[in-house]
Amino acid sequence: MESAATAAFESWAIDARVVALLLLTAVVYLRGWLRGRRLLRDQHDALRLAAFMASLIVLFLATESPLDAFDTLFLSAHMTQHLLLMMIAPPLLLLSNPLLPMLRGLPKGFVKECLGPFLTWKPLKLFFGWLVSPIPAFVVFALSTVLWHLPVLYELALSSPAWHGLQHACFFWSGVIFWWPVIQPGPGKPRWPKWMAIPYLLFADILNTLLSVVFVFSGHLLYPSYGIVRAGNLSALEDQSLAGLMMWIPGSVVYLVPAFILVMGLFTSARMETTTAPERVRRTKPQASPAWSRHAPLFRRAAQAVLLLLAIAVIFDGFRGQQVAALNLAGVLPWIHWRALSMLALLAVGNLFCLACPFMLVRDAARKFISPKFRWPHALRNKWLSAGLIALYLWAYEAFSLWDSPWLTAWLITGYFAVAVLIDSFFRGATFCKYVCPIGQYHFVVSLVSPREIAVKDKATCQRCHTYDCIRGNEKSRGCELYLFQPKKASNLDCTFCLDCVKACPHDNVGLLAVTPGKTLLSDAYRSSIGRLSKRTDLVALVLLLVFGAFVNAAGMVSPVMMWEHGVHARLGVHAMPFIVGGFVVIGAMLLPIATFRLCSVFNRNIELARRLVFSLVPLGVSMWAAHLLFHAASVWTMAPVAWLQVVILEAGLLFTLYTAWRIAKSSTMIFLPWASVACALFASGIWIFFQPMQMRGMMH
Amino acid sequence: MKLKAISALLLVASFAQADGGKVQFQRQAGVFNITLFSTPATVRAGRTDFSVMVQNTADKSSVLDADVRFHFTQRSANSIASVSAPARHDQATNKLLYAAQVDLNATGKWRVEISVQTKRDSALVTGDVDVEPPEPPLLAHWPYFVALPIVALLFALNQLLKRRRRAVNRR
Repeated sequence: MESAATAAFESWAIDARVVALLLLTAVVYLRGWLRGRRLLRDQHDALRLAAFMASLIVLFLATESPLDAFDTLFLSAHMTQHLLLMMIAPPLLLLSNPLLPMLRGLPKGFVKECLGPFLTWKPLKLFFGWLVSPIPAFVVFALSTVLWHLPVLYELALSSPAWHGLQHACFFWSGVIFWWPVIQPGPGKPRWPKWMAIPYLLFADILNTLLSVVFVFSGHLLYPSYGIVRAGNLSALEDQSLAGLMMWIPGSVVYLVPAFILVMGLFTSARMETTTAPERVRRTKPQASPAWSRHAPLFRRAAQAVLLLLAIAVIFDGFRGQQVAALNLAGVLPWIHWRALSMLALLAVGNLFCLACPFMLVRDAARKFISPKFRWPHALRNKWLSAGLIALYLWAYEAFSLWDSPWLTAWLITGYFAVAVLIDSFFRGATFCKYVCPIGQYHFVVSLVSPREIAVKDKATCQRCHTYDCIRGNEKSRGCELYLFQPKKASNLDCTFCLDCVKACPHDNVGLLAVTPGKTLLSDAYRSSIGRLSKRTDLVALVLLLVFGAFVNAAGMVSPVMMWEHGVHARLGVHAMPFIVGGFVVIGAMLLPIATFRLCSVFNRNIELARRLVFSLVPLGVSMWAAHLLFHAASVWTMAPVAWLQVVILEAGLLFTLYTAWRIAKSSTMIFLPWASVACALFASGIWIFFQPMQMRGMMH
Repeated sequence: MKLKAISALLLVASFAQADGGKVQFQRQAGVFNITLFSTPATVRAGRTDFSVMVQNTADKSSVLDADVRFHFTQRSANSIASVSAPARHDQATNKLLYAAQVDLNATGKWRVEISVQTKRDSALVTGDVDVEPPEPPLLAHWPYFVALPIVALLFALNQLLKRRRRAVNRR
């Protein structure tokens, strides 16, 4: 540490949540700005984009820079922070004309379905119109400024981060309201004459000056907290005067310069806004898949090769390495990193693990020597076998502490390779993936809420196609081994992202496209090779098992459940643990969901509707898996507590589930309520699990 | 896509340090003026961020090259609990401070010794910190739960407005 100045400059108070929010806002605006630029070129000039980004940078500087780290030590730093929040960031934001770009940047469905009713709600429009008219806007701004500078409220903000955050939010949003009548951003014509802003700004300057005078000349310390600790030569009173000067001089400049520009504008009669009609450019083209997806088959082989090498390393270390989970690749890589990374991939893109599946690389190599001759028995062409294997995994994972045994993990992976090769050597198509692989079924179900899907770009092209290469294959590539006919494929269910159809399509009409996550859960349309969800009891069982299994799996690691298990174990005897764990899994992940389904279907009076409503629980189940797996990974990656993130993920899952159930129930409260109750009960149990001490896995204790 | 990835990573890696906060006590020892801060303001059983500002008494300038250590002890009728931790600049947001995250697992009064050592001088100050019982987790994370009823309310309003609009259109 060289000097106090260097130390001060290095004091950035980076809060990842704020940074993520600012980045997300920037992405949405940029997306909307680019879309708008294609439609209305001259209304989306680069200056507006620059103004928006500058406002975000100012917000970042105000809340994350050393100003924030020093705001409890120096009133002058705190005042500068407030100036940025009230006087710099809001006008920059409004100069960027943010409303239309932000709306264009958000997903269309969200704007239409979620925001639309509010944006067109007359009372809200009237209220907002009134709020941003000069007198109310000035009053809100003045009240926010004066009240928050009263010693009682200011001290409250200094003593509590929550109140401090509220204070900053009030300053920023009252700043936005204040600057609205001055800048009058679109859409729509300006409501007030430009000259009106001149007295408005002058009044604001008078208020600012009066407040500044209090700080500069009061002669006593207004906020005692600043008197306790002093750093450097500046006394608390001098610091207060400096804060007053900061407010007075730069503050006045911010108010008076625009007023001066407006006066000059009135004198020169210069028109500040262009009135020429914007040039409209029409752009409609089918959604394009990302550029890299053209090389995706090659990419797939490379990814498979990498995962195969990793699998070999895990097997080798599992058999030969040190039998301590935290120090062995077999203890850490599959159970901690791979599970979390594949979940992140599912939430960010789609079923990338199946795309890069190493088992399939070995199977494809084996098929060069053995051609399968049989078809999978008809009785097994469903998900019952894989659901049974998932239940077996949930039990074995806890009963034999698979995560803690590199040796067993190595055997498990070796067995997986052997079974995949064996089954696909005898049976045609991707039998193992479609009917057996428990990992695949998990990925299929979770990818129902993924944001990307292998889908057709233009349906009309498919209607003209008579070769059906996507399913039949051609000389370039085999067709879909899971028997998914692209034009009738309505979700990621059963799709391994193998990209065979992408390669086979002679019209380049299949790609990895963006979709609304979870939208396919709402529909009961016929799906190629799957049929209707409402007719598939096996799929319903699989989904219930994965949803309830998520909670059972996490619950098995928390202290109260483990203590209960050990208590029963002590009473029953030495070899009872697998049976106790088995009982827990059977009750929690099998009997409880069956009972729940039965009960809800009594209320629904329609078994097919009840089956469809089971799929509404998928987002909640996914969020529980995600929150749980990310907890273990984050514990290893960052060593930081992530309870808040777990709560947020689970809440998002609950809201998503409630929305899906509401839509499937077609807004019928009686149909919706039983499933909403189930979702809320699962959510409550998830929160309870998160707040219990959880066994840390894959770490040295 | 890159931005999305960065945001996701940042979300996962969120561990903003939060030093400064409430002044627990201020002591003068030799040539040093030592101030102990805690975040959150009310110290509760569990992990707390403690930070120390070390200043020269003469000119109030910050001392940045000291070796600072915390030693917390709590005596009860039967036992003595103690926790030691080095306080460092790299654990602090405000780099004028020395910070450490300390796990005080019992409620009641804890005695804290702060030792400060530079090449030329050293000092030791002591003081008391009251540790309250931990907040129930639901209360500790209340801001994250507030979102749920708000979203539910907004959704109900959204559905009401849609229904009303449909009725108007039908008429």
